[in-house]
Amino acid sequence: MSGDRSRLARLLIAALIVITATMFCASIVTGAADASLSNVMRGILGLDDMEQVLSVRDRIIILDIRLPRAVLGLLVGASLAVSGVVMQGLFRNPLADPGLVGVSSGASLGAVLMIVLGSSVFGPLFAVFGFYTLPVAAFLGGLGTTLLLYRIATRSGQTSVATMLLAGIALGALAGAVTGVLIFIADDKQLRDLTFWGLGSLAGANWTKVMAAGPIILFSLAVVPFLARGLNALTLGEAAAFHMGIPVQRLKNIAIVSVAAATGASVAVSGGIGFVGIVVPHVLRLLIGPDHRYLLPASALLGGTLLIFADMIARTIVPPAELPIGIITAFAGAPFFLWILLRGRTQMGL
Amino acid sequence: MISASNLSVRLSDKPVLHSVSLEARAGELTAIVGPNGSGKTTTLKALAGETTYSGTVRINGHDIAALKPWELALKRAVLPQSTIISFPFTVREIVRMGLSISGGVGTAQTDRITQEALDAVDLAGFAGRFYQELSGGEQQRVQMARVLCQIWEPIKNGEPSFLLLDEPVSSLDIRHQLTIMRLARDFCKRGGGVIAIMHDLNLTAMFADRMIMLKAGQIRASGTPREVMTDDIMESVFGCCMRVNIVPHGSIPFVLPHTAVH
Repeated sequence: MSGDRSRLARLLIAALIVITATMFCASIVTGAADASLSNVMRGILGLDDMEQVLSVRDRIIILDIRLPRAVLGLLVGASLAVSGVVMQGLFRNPLADPGLVGVSSGASLGAVLMIVLGSSVFGPLFAVFGFYTLPVAAFLGGLGTTLLLYRIATRSGQTSVATMLLAGIALGALAGAVTGVLIFIADDKQLRDLTFWGLGSLAGANWTKVMAAGPIILFSLAVVPFLARGLNALTLGEAAAFHMGIPVQRLKNIAIVSVAAATGASVAVSGGIGFVGIVVPHVLRLLIGPDHRYLLPASALLGGTLLIFADMIARTIVPPAELPIGIITAFAGAPFFLWILLRGRTQMGL
Repeated sequence: MISASNLSVRLSDKPVLHSVSLEARAGELTAIVGPNGSGKTTTLKALAGETTYSGTVRINGHDIAALKPWELALKRAVLPQSTIISFPFTVREIVRMGLSISGGVGTAQTDRITQEALDAVDLAGFAGRFYQELSGGEQQRVQMARVLCQIWEPIKNGEPSFLLLDEPVSSLDIRHQLTIMRLARDFCKRGGGVIAIMHDLNLTAMFADRMIMLKAGQIRASGTPREVMTDDIMESVFGCCMRVNIVPHGSIPFVLPHTAVH
């Protein structure tokens, strides 16, 4: 029957799984130090003794530098793309993105607060949360912004999408201003940390960061598939979704907390990586349609793959230095985004 | 049966409905008519459980305030006035959404019901088209097909199901107005119930079993079209003096705007 893209969607998801696995392996063996894929795999799987097939230096590079980096890239990419999909579904607007409605700015503010004041004012927090402090602060920043937005935009149980988008821009600017004050009082070392963190990078990925952000991101990724049917109904409007049996307010609450958590965790470990949350869902909607049951897993896979790929470029294009990955996603994403806009204007209802 | 007693609604502190009580029986098409701003859509929203109201609304004896959204969705479906969608769904994907609530329906059956619903609204070849590329009237019929899918059986588990339609023919040409009204009447004949907000009085008189006339948030008249459509009631509700006539060799009233005098 025509108009059914579910078969195509399932095929694409299968293909994306293969592509993601391939990209993951490629990123582990790509870099200044060379190590053959088969040796690395045999070593990781325990088929061969690592010490025989790889030198100590290669082992450290692969297991402690490239592997956590690939894992983090996969997690962050998936989280950014899925957050984009959920936000766009929630706002019924293909241009909504955590970056746009101020969630990312709020999360950044939380993270910057920790970087600048962490050692002095928030010292006790570090003692309690350890390496979770930065992701937790970013999560709280994102959640705080989102809840505030929600309060502003909701009247008698109805959330106005237009108000929320506009208030998001205002709150984003406000968070940006406070962040600016913090940058102003930061010392030179903090300033350098902030700048590189703000550009967005997977450099410095290690197992601690994976352990800090991973559980939060994985939890969000595990929750959102349950929202798929509700998000589909929500595209017809909140009233229509309620008529179709969706508990709309609960759906919105879960969606908002998931997005804030995933965005907060991603921002904390990788800074501001733009355009993944807008470009990935757009491309996939053109290919397989907006059905969230397929769009969510496909976005997670494509987002992860793209970020790993961008990171491979980031760390090999100007060796031995590294380009912040946010620069690459913006360079590739922004023109691509404009191209999609021009090409698919009618289909996206703009 | 859907019954409402003492239904009152305030929107931003302004009273919109004043203790409206009404009944819509299974097997009957109940039409709500009235001038603009008389509270028709608000009444329908309250009956759907969508707005906060005071009073009681019952569907087949169950207080709707005590039902979960997904329980309500199995008893009634609602057609909104118009639906704007900003994502590129195909017609088939939209219509199929109506079926997702009942769940556990096999693919073959989903395909069959989707196709039958599209046939019923005269959109047989439209399954693969993009919703956003359709005309307003075609979009309205797609939504009607989706609503039909949600309440596919007029009687389910021994209880009648209901369709709540907000101006179901507002964007349609005359042929499709008849298609949709016949569809609604057929649904009633098979045991379900329909509540429809209507503007076309003649179409209403042709198809409605009962008419409810609202003015300023209150019921001014209710009964069969023959009982409700009289010169006096028309003038008091619409503020427009017109002559109601009866179709030759029948009992259906009609009114022409040509008879209006100021």
